[in-house]
Amino acid sequence: MKIFNRYILTVASILLLSTVLLIAAGQNSLERYFTVYVIEALVITELYVYLNQKARRGLNYVSVLLFGGFAFILCFQILKILL
Amino acid sequence: MSLLMLILCQLAHSGVGDKAALINRNSYTCTGFSLLTAGFFIAAAGYFIFQLIWLAALGICMLILASILIALGRTIPKLSPEVCGLLLETGIENIASLIEELGIKTKAIYLPSSLASDCPRAFLPLHSNGSRPQITKALPRRLFARYGTNPEDIGLLISTIGSTAVTMLETKPGATATELESALTSLFSGRLGVADRTRVICYNGTIKVEIDKPRLENGTSWSQQCLGGPLATVVASVAAEAWNKPMTISREERNNGKYFIELEVGK
Repeated sequence: MKIFNRYILTVASILLLSTVLLIAAGQNSLERYFTVYVIEALVITELYVYLNQKARRGLNYVSVLLFGGFAFILCFQILKILL
Repeated sequence: MSLLMLILCQLAHSGVGDKAALINRNSYTCTGFSLLTAGFFIAAAGYFIFQLIWLAALGICMLILASILIALGRTIPKLSPEVCGLLLETGIENIASLIEELGIKTKAIYLPSSLASDCPRAFLPLHSNGSRPQITKALPRRLFARYGTNPEDIGLLISTIGSTAVTMLETKPGATATELESALTSLFSGRLGVADRTRVICYNGTIKVEIDKPRLENGTSWSQQCLGGPLATVVASVAAEAWNKPMTISREERNNGKYFIELEVGK
């Protein structure tokens, strides 16, 4: 299970680091935070190519969920510009 | 930081240290649901009550991690490592007794599935005149298999850890160092969790494999002298399947946290 632990710790560390950096940069938009989290989580998942097929399938559902959230924010922003 | 500490504590408590606890309680799922609850309340409180965006963002961060942990928790095998170890040791002990009783001293020849019926197997010739037997056609799926016309052309055809490990591969690797390296790393690091990285070098009918941080010990029994260590068995079986040629383990060495295996490619 060592690769699972390494993967989880990488995601947790990167997400926390980006939170600290975004706070330091004075970001005050929840959408921006979420977008950065989604991109980071998707990139790290793709980089861990040696995760087994079953784990990858499970993480694909998470990726779809995250992408769904990202798409929702995008649609919301587009509607805000249009209306 | 408390979030990272919580995950670290949970993983150290059951994921790394005590594997039995990890299987029984599945700490990934437990941590996932704890983070899900905590993340939901932190995000809601941060956004609606305290109106602190960074706090709500931290809550979302926890929710993302929770979903990852829950997804990974579902992929953990149901059998405990103790039960797996028990089954493995019983099988190995029986094979070891058989090899010792028959007085086999020759090195095993790892055959690809095309030469050993359905899956790659190890072949141990009962009689040896110093030269390696040439196996050109598929051997029958029997414990005692005949490979030639002479009465002494007989040997043991046995399944090893490598035979089962090959079935775990998603695709059959090609006969190149890069493909073998990728297949072995995916198997050792991703599926079995017994080593970190693998490096493969091929030249003049020899395959050199270097495994980083192996976590499986080699025994010194008679059978292991013939068959090779568990990791070497897996490497030889995967290489035999990739090259579609018989393989022999010519050298095994453990040094500075690395495990070196040298395979000889047969004709």
